[in-house]
Amino acid sequence: MSFTHLNVTSSYSAHYGVSSPSQLAATARAQGADALALTDRDGLFGAVKHVGACLAEGIRPILGVNLAVLDDAGKPNGRIILLARGNAQGHGYAALCRAVSAAHQNPRGIIGLSRTELATRLASGQLMLLVGAESDVSRAIERHKHQHARNLLAGWKKLAGSALRAEITTHLSEPGKRYSLGFASKLLRFAAELNITPVMSNAVRYADPDGAVTADILDSARVLHSLKALEELQPTGQGWLKTSAQMHQLAQDLSRVTSRSWARKLLHNTELLAHWAALDAHSDLGWKQPVIPEAKVIGLYRPAQQELTERVFSAVPRLLPDANHSAVEKQLALELGVIDRLGFAGYFLTVAQTVKLITDMGVRVAARGSGASSLVNFLLGISQVNPLQHDLVFERFLSDTRTTLPDIDIDVESARRHEIYHKIFDTYGLERVSLMSMQNAYRARGAVRDAGAALGIEQEQVDEIAKQLWRFSASSFREALEQKPELAPLAKRITQDGQLDVLIDATERLDRLPRHISMHPCGVILSDASLLDRTPVQPSGIGLQMSQYDKHDMDVMGLIKLDVLGVRMQSAIAYTLEEIKRLHPTAQGVARAGGHQNTQYIEEDGHIDFSKVPLDDAITYELIRSTHTLGCFQIESPGQRELIGKLAPREFNDLIIDISLFRPGPMQSNMVKPYLEHRHGFAPEQYLHPDLKPALAETHGVTVFHEQVLRMLHVMTGCSLGMADVYRRHLGNPEKEEALASFFRTSATARGYSQETIDKVWEVLSGFGSFGFCKAHGAAFAVPTYHSAWLKAHHPEAFLAGIWEHDPGMYPKRLLVSEARRMNIPILGLDINRSTGHYRVERVFESAIRPAPVIPRAAGTIRPGQYGIRLAFRDIHQLSEREVNRLVAGQPYESLADVRQRAGLSRRSYQNLAALGVFDSLLTGTSRADTIAHTQSMAHTHLPAKYRPGPGQLALPLGEIEPIKVTGAQLSAEEVVRTELDLLHLDVSEHLITSYRQRLAHLPITQAAELLRLRNGTEVLVAGVRIATQTPPMRGGKRVVFISLDDGSGCIDATFFDDTQQRTGPLLFSTRMLLIHGVTRRTGPRGISLQALHAWDLHQPELLPTAGYLDDANRPQPTYRPKLGQAVPGGESIADLAKRMNAEGLDQRGA
Amino acid sequence: MGMFTESIQVSCAPNGVPLRVSWNGCDYRLVAEPQRWFERRKWWDENLRIPRGIGAGLVDYEIWRLEITPAMSRGPMQSIDVSFDPQSTHWRLIRVNQEMAIGA
Repeated sequence: MSFTHLNVTSSYSAHYGVSSPSQLAATARAQGADALALTDRDGLFGAVKHVGACLAEGIRPILGVNLAVLDDAGKPNGRIILLARGNAQGHGYAALCRAVSAAHQNPRGIIGLSRTELATRLASGQLMLLVGAESDVSRAIERHKHQHARNLLAGWKKLAGSALRAEITTHLSEPGKRYSLGFASKLLRFAAELNITPVMSNAVRYADPDGAVTADILDSARVLHSLKALEELQPTGQGWLKTSAQMHQLAQDLSRVTSRSWARKLLHNTELLAHWAALDAHSDLGWKQPVIPEAKVIGLYRPAQQELTERVFSAVPRLLPDANHSAVEKQLALELGVIDRLGFAGYFLTVAQTVKLITDMGVRVAARGSGASSLVNFLLGISQVNPLQHDLVFERFLSDTRTTLPDIDIDVESARRHEIYHKIFDTYGLERVSLMSMQNAYRARGAVRDAGAALGIEQEQVDEIAKQLWRFSASSFREALEQKPELAPLAKRITQDGQLDVLIDATERLDRLPRHISMHPCGVILSDASLLDRTPVQPSGIGLQMSQYDKHDMDVMGLIKLDVLGVRMQSAIAYTLEEIKRLHPTAQGVARAGGHQNTQYIEEDGHIDFSKVPLDDAITYELIRSTHTLGCFQIESPGQRELIGKLAPREFNDLIIDISLFRPGPMQSNMVKPYLEHRHGFAPEQYLHPDLKPALAETHGVTVFHEQVLRMLHVMTGCSLGMADVYRRHLGNPEKEEALASFFRTSATARGYSQETIDKVWEVLSGFGSFGFCKAHGAAFAVPTYHSAWLKAHHPEAFLAGIWEHDPGMYPKRLLVSEARRMNIPILGLDINRSTGHYRVERVFESAIRPAPVIPRAAGTIRPGQYGIRLAFRDIHQLSEREVNRLVAGQPYESLADVRQRAGLSRRSYQNLAALGVFDSLLTGTSRADTIAHTQSMAHTHLPAKYRPGPGQLALPLGEIEPIKVTGAQLSAEEVVRTELDLLHLDVSEHLITSYRQRLAHLPITQAAELLRLRNGTEVLVAGVRIATQTPPMRGGKRVVFISLDDGSGCIDATFFDDTQQRTGPLLFSTRMLLIHGVTRRTGPRGISLQALHAWDLHQPELLPTAGYLDDANRPQPTYRPKLGQAVPGGESIADLAKRMNAEGLDQRGA
Repeated sequence: MGMFTESIQVSCAPNGVPLRVSWNGCDYRLVAEPQRWFERRKWWDENLRIPRGIGAGLVDYEIWRLEITPAMSRGPMQSIDVSFDPQSTHWRLIRVNQEMAIGA
């Protein structure tokens, strides 16, 4: 008879369990078990993974939960286990979900159930209560209060009746310790006395004995004590998934000290309970059966398929007025046929309904991902991309070969995301909607901190190590130590100090273990009214209920998930459009201001309707080609600006290709260079076979898109496009790729292709298939890219204000000041009467003529300099939102006294505002320095009572009642900048680098703006403020670090290869103000970057190079550098790179 | 009670339960059913490496309490605690108990 473990915690019991559900299931299976329970603490976080793992291993899953019991005061008093009844048409599982959700509803956030609640939930007969070694009964036994223990156990029997089992566990601890044989046998005896059925468990925390050490570290991390100081250590390391033989032996041990016949009974009862609780994935959990909201909820009064068909066709005249009718009909017949056969019509209507809900709120929506391949999605208003126009493949999104629901992801304005969530909850109701959660796992930094704390290593030392950990996982910590120059001092210390070796061992043990769940940034689950029977929920950070399941659990549990992703760029665009409308409230006004020839897309009130803006605006592409794309969605990073400069986009499809190419895979493999050479006609296009030309022509023979891979498979093997997408997913999968290869070869040979062609095509497919990009996704992404560049070219002031307001990009705000300077847009300082809580565009009435800006601007737009951007109060350090609101509500102010009287500022805010010159426009005859001195001498912000105006009186000017001393003192430019940086984190009045000029006077410093005029290979010294650091992975394990500097005249992108990294060491990631010695490297007609040779910290003047450095014979010289797009020989394979990118979370673009 | 970490030979039945002991050149037989439990070990105080996959024996060690008497001759009955170290695969004598073992 095999033994079934009924008390098993996985690593999803955060800071408690050690092994993953799949490890546990695999171990159980290897031991010959035919069922396995998972009873995680406080929730079902690992339940779906457990069921999936059990199904994969061919054993029966059992689910339960380990919960605290709350006493009358609401305090935890011991823990119990609830098991769900199996083969109960889902009633057992539903009762379990509801019990877990209820345990998370307590005031003050204490997780657990009171005895009364437990009694009610057990009465249904769908749950079984296990009272064991963590219960109040066992605690009483451990304190030798035997009669009390008996009474408690009798109490449980009264409460649960037949739904009670005594759970007997021994870890053979030392006599007198928890889980000792003696204590276990006591509980067994008492259960026998009271006629309670006993079952046996091993209270499993790890799959094998090795996990015991990790459990120690987790215990320490949970209670935040070092191991030395830990009060309650696990008494032994015996809590592993023991074999049936070992469990039978333990039963023998128990019966030896109790009664001979009990061993068999114990084991028998355990198996009976296992049988009662074994779940049927299909009938109990609704495994892989999607559940959509009820018809009435999505406004459906006829069959879903009929509704969908009619809605789609009726939208054709409006959205596709000029389209080829037969092409549209053919496409719709294909799509609707697939949707009908899969029975997904209701799903599409649900998504459409939700999108409508959001657009009705006036929120910008854009679909992303493969959903853009569907014409149905376009006609339902879910997606903004017409797939016919961009030659997208529907089968990449959905086909008959797919049985799981497709993903439709929706981008919305980030600023209104919570508002949208609330709207969805209100509309569908709490019983049908929940947020999705995500598991947060240990990464290197957290792991080393907790491991260090457990081992009692000094916090300072651990912090220093943690600070150095840069993005790599803890399991690659040791490797990183050997390779990364900035970790060299640490590596040296570790070889000297054995304790640090132990620290690394411990860190590796924690790596990747789940830590806690949190609200997923965009997932919303929609279902029918049975949702809470199918997922446990708990309150999220924003109060709305959140499922304990994560994105991997959705499909199999039949839960429909919508990704409603807040995108700051959408908010920035929405804000820009609002500003344009506010400044120019008529169609003509907007047309004049933006230099628009065409006013068809501008509404009467000045609102621009982007769905009508053509995608072929010449000036927009000119702006993009200039590489002055700061603030433009997707194409503002240093690497992207370099690629844009080389690719020189001329049309929308070029943007799609650019976005799809700019990923670590294509960049490091052999894709970018041949594409660019063919595109610019430097080399003739080559096709592996003429049949493949239609699929590959748009990218000049280079395979870039998933869609192209599908078409290649289709052409060469004759398979359907739907099957081709299934095959595409097998590419790069070590288990399946081989079978695909032989299928490909056989079919292609049968169709008459030569061996050579087959070999070459297969090489391309297996190499890049898993790396390609979904063109539909690229197309969806290119839309906001184009829109943001369009706005930057036509309405630069409003666009910059929008970027400033919502901060969507990768760069710090202070870089926007430099950008505004380059665009010749005046930045208007903070002003008590003109600034508000937001960044606003303001008319400037000054006559100064400004030179034409470097950055392209649509012809006919208003002259630069006529409008400026007024800084907002909201980013002033320590100024609260309430103060901002009061300040704005009180505008306009007549005098300082007036401000003091009505604005209700704290003394510190008052001083800060004075220091920033906010009151300058109120000053008469005194300087900013005088006002600062005055505010600092004030005791209170409130005006003394005698000066406060009575009703109807005007306040006296402060100067008259509390004379400000006029000293004639003026602030130096440096002081002003320093204050701006301190209080605004911006250098508005002059660039930060200005104050360093003096200490660099002996060196020939080159400005960013001058770089473009230099020849390739010129040696220069540049100085500036770091604005970005990026480390994309490289093949061959060599890391490249990109550092971008801003020096006020522009951006400088410097590339640090391995040798330079060695030279600069710790400077690489920690220094803000840098001097870099490098060689220019021309990247295109508009692009130039630096290959760095050395770098220095401007704050260490004593280490800076001396005059004549560039003539010094000992200065570093450029050596080998890998060319972009050239493989490093003997390096890691593409598959390895893909794996590493995935492991390190480097590919941020989704699928 | 004395503390030892002396080497000792223990022969076991297939289920791992000790049967015979060889100690200081003398063979012993068991006169009572052996008792066993696991004692906690504080691995962090021993500055031991703890790499993943090192296996059992870091967190606890198994103690067998054996009541023994010389196998060949008549002699006094003794109570000893022995332990098997899975890392070194050796048995060690942990203690010689003065008083008789107390049942669990």
